[in-house]
This record gives sequence, structure tokens and C-alpha cells, in this order.
Amino acid sequence: MTTTIELEIPEQLLAQAQAMVREGWAADINEILTDALGRYLESHSAELTEAFMREDVEWGLRGRD
Amino acid sequence: MAGIEEPSRVVVLDAGPLIHLDELGSLGLLADHFELLVPDAVWNEVEHHRPALFVSSSLHFRRTTPRGAPSPSLAAISTLYPLHRGETQALQIAMEYEADMLLTDDTAARLAANQLRIPVHGTLGIVLRAARTRQLSAREVVDLLRALPERSTLHVRPSLLREIIAGVEGLNQTRE
Repeated sequence: MTTTIELEIPEQLLAQAQAMVREGWAADINEILTDALGRYLESHSAELTEAFMREDVEWGLRGRD
Repeated sequence: MAGIEEPSRVVVLDAGPLIHLDELGSLGLLADHFELLVPDAVWNEVEHHRPALFVSSSLHFRRTTPRGAPSPSLAAISTLYPLHRGETQALQIAMEYEADMLLTDDTAARLAANQLRIPVHGTLGIVLRAARTRQLSAREVVDLLRALPERSTLHVRPSLLREIIAGVEGLNQTRE
């Protein structure tokens, strides 16, 4: 299932994305934006953030530097 | 100092830890590091959010410009993760200066740092380290952690924060 959204982005960013589509690196702008959003959500997941905080706790309390 | 093998010498700072430690009145916890490098873009971001930070702190922060273009590995990783300009500069400077540590609270920047094999920690680590290095007593660290939700913009899930506080209190009991 998909839905339609309106988006305001810098013109230069859009131009770069359009160039990538023209050069065949992506099917269309939708694919690029969906991929970018997916990567953002993946790399900012709550689980990952918490895992890094737990690493900090371990280093902070028991590290050696 | 107990548990310390060798203090980190060169530390590169992203905006998050600078802002969060300043909010907690705890920038002084960085004082035992030899050199504190702040990338240009991070400097600008921090000045925007905390205008007095660099002026009022007694620490010497060195505003640092990347020496050249990003390395191929950083350029490749920058395309995989949504990194802001400051985070990208921080990673680049950490590589250029072979920094002992990068401090960031940004999850994507930490992922990228791990891939680039840059030692990386965040605000929580610095606060907790203060108990280990005896910069602060365990009680003082607990007080800072308790104040975190109200005094700092660093978000820590409440139940995780309680867990961390219990860990530090346990440390305190062990020492007593």
C-alpha cells in the first residue's frame, strides 16, 4: 500500500535526484525518496540508539581510557 | 586514577555532546583530554544553539577545518547514512588527526564511525566515565543522571535511565 505526500525540498537536491534518474541509477524520484527515508529510519532506530547508549554505559563505568 | 590505562589525547567533538554537557554544566568533564577539536560546521551549530558556550568555558576548544577532501571510504559511507555536515566533518577530522575518540550522540554518525574504525562514545559515556575516573563521586554522577530529563535535551528512555542510575548506585555501594 502506498500513499501520496507533498514535500518541500531544496531545488539543488531535487536536481541531483533528477540527474540520477536520467542516468539510470534509479527508476524515479519516488524510488530515491523512499530509499532515503528507509535508510534514515533504519539508521536512527530506537533499538540502535539504545544499543549505543548501553555501549556508553559499559565504557563509561568499566572502560580503560 | 583507578581503572585508567591512558587518558585519551585527541578528541573530536560533534555538536550533541557539547550541547548536552553544557546543558548539564559538565563541560569540565572533558578537561582531562589533551586536545579538543571542534569541526567548523559543529562550531557554527553549537554557537547557534549555545551562544555563550565557547566564550564562557575555561576549556580550550580548537576550531578545526578539514585538511582536504573526504577519503574515499568516508565519501562512500556518507552516501549510506544520513549525516549532517558537522557529523561528516567530525568523522573526517577524526580520521585526519587519528583521533583517540570521537564524541557524538547521533546514531548514524556512530554507525559510520564504527565502520571507519574510529573509537566513538557519547554524552552518557562521558558522564559515567567521571565516576570511574573519580572526576565526580558516584553520588554526583547519579544527581546528574537524575537531572538529565529536565536539564538536557538528550533523550534517554526513562526505564533505561533508571537502570543506568541503579548501576552507578551499585558502583557506589561496591566502593563503600
